Amino acid sequence: MTTAAVGAPGSPRRYLHSLWLLSARDLKVRYATSALGYLWSVLDPLVMSAIYWFVFTQIFQRTVGHEPYIVFLITALLPWVWFNSAVSDFTRAFSKDARLVRSTSIPRSIWVNRIVLSKGIEFLCSLPVLALFVVLSQFSETPAQVGWGLLWLPVAVVLQAVLLVGLGLLVAPLCVLWSDLERTTKLILRALFYASPVIYGVSDLPGIFETLAAFNPLAGIFALYRVGFFPGEWDPWVVGIGAVMSFAFLGLGILVFRRLERSVLKEL
Amino acid sequence: MEADVTAMSTDLVIRVQGLGVRFRRNRRGRRSLKDLFSDSSRRSKPGEFWALRGVSFDVRPGESIGVVGRNGQGKSTLLKLVAGVLIQDEGVVAVNGGVAPLIEITGGFVGDLTVRENVRLTAGLHGMPKAEVARRFDGIIAFAELEDFLDTPYKHLSNGMKVRLAFAVVSQLEEPILLVDEVLAVGDKAFREKCYRRIDELLAEGRTLFFVSHNERDLRRFCARGLYLDKGRLVLDAPIADVLDRYNADYNAG
Repeated sequence: MTTAAVGAPGSPRRYLHSLWLLSARDLKVRYATSALGYLWSVLDPLVMSAIYWFVFTQIFQRTVGHEPYIVFLITALLPWVWFNSAVSDFTRAFSKDARLVRSTSIPRSIWVNRIVLSKGIEFLCSLPVLALFVVLSQFSETPAQVGWGLLWLPVAVVLQAVLLVGLGLLVAPLCVLWSDLERTTKLILRALFYASPVIYGVSDLPGIFETLAAFNPLAGIFALYRVGFFPGEWDPWVVGIGAVMSFAFLGLGILVFRRLERSVLKEL
Repeated sequence: MEADVTAMSTDLVIRVQGLGVRFRRNRRGRRSLKDLFSDSSRRSKPGEFWALRGVSFDVRPGESIGVVGRNGQGKSTLLKLVAGVLIQDEGVVAVNGGVAPLIEITGGFVGDLTVRENVRLTAGLHGMPKAEVARRFDGIIAFAELEDFLDTPYKHLSNGMKVRLAFAVVSQLEEPILLVDEVLAVGDKAFREKCYRRIDELLAEGRTLFFVSHNERDLRRFCARGLYLDKGRLVLDAPIADVLDRYNADYNAG
């Protein structure tokens, strides 16, 4: 039957078509069901930044991070929100759309990847907030420096996407099979926030922790986001290990996903 | 699905060989990390049963096949395996071409999305380009008789409306294989007649039909060939009249 269809089933073109349809739907649902729409994707990091800025510069005498601290915070908080919201959605990647998964034979990894994509688009849409604070800081005593390191930003985005896809392929099927994991993941995420260099930089960590932190792939990724404004954040060791760890997670994710796909479909 | 399609001669649309799939008897059986690492196929563990096993058959284009059996004998499971929404534990399912599945009573639509969005999403996921969806949209809605409910969330539709929409969308997909799983029993008589006419049209166009039903009249009307499943085994693969006679002899006697 020759008809107008977007690529053959199983072709990359069909994959992207389906991926885009589902991601666009996620975004539409998010923005259509709330009056504030776009504001929600920036409100969360903004409120968090305001809190940390107040706590660490007004209450405590801050000894970590760099000036201007608000820019230092936001460069990591915005990608953290992407990471956090994507991973929490992974726990329900299949169960939320169980009916659709049960009746549509698209490649199953799309159910994970559409979360990475739609949350990633929200992240990109929140970047103007960072630009705003960089501009505002020009009128303060400690203006943010903008350097060539900014060119690392796209690399950071790609690396974070790789890490997220890997984690999603790992977390999403496991959460279907072991329902306890949904809460465990939320708990781990909360701990991970403080274990990742968001409110501090890797170089602020004492002794052995500085070395250990490199094995958290987020450390390298956040360093890449920051290096455009804070050249001192550049650390080949942290970034290198971060990249290796991200791809390792991707490999592990693909492996586990293949193994569990069959059981997941039976369980839905 | 092991894409063994290349090995399949071109005059077959579906080839099923030694197909087997098993489920756990109780939903929350014990799982261990060991399951993750052991190659679990082929071994039967306690607490598991084979929903289908050793099923083999070939389907040529344009055939219409009725699947007969009592509840829980693997009919729906077979359809899901052909549709590619379940993965078998052993054997091969090779499907040559796309499948338009009507295997969930809800059509697999999303409750929170409106009728309009659901139609676009489902048609799109089957590879229909946006322009094509737009072109057929009015036809689909007219068929489902849902003109006044375009912006109603799907979850607020009545069961009859849901089935109408599901059939309207699925029957518009240009896939060579149509799977229909008992869902038509929900619609009212007038709508059922409409569906039957549409199925006749699709068969006349040369589509392949896989039909699960408990309604003998429907089976005789649409299907030439019958598959009789009992206890997860394919008991009989023969003309529909013979299959129905055997089924009646087994279960309806006396």
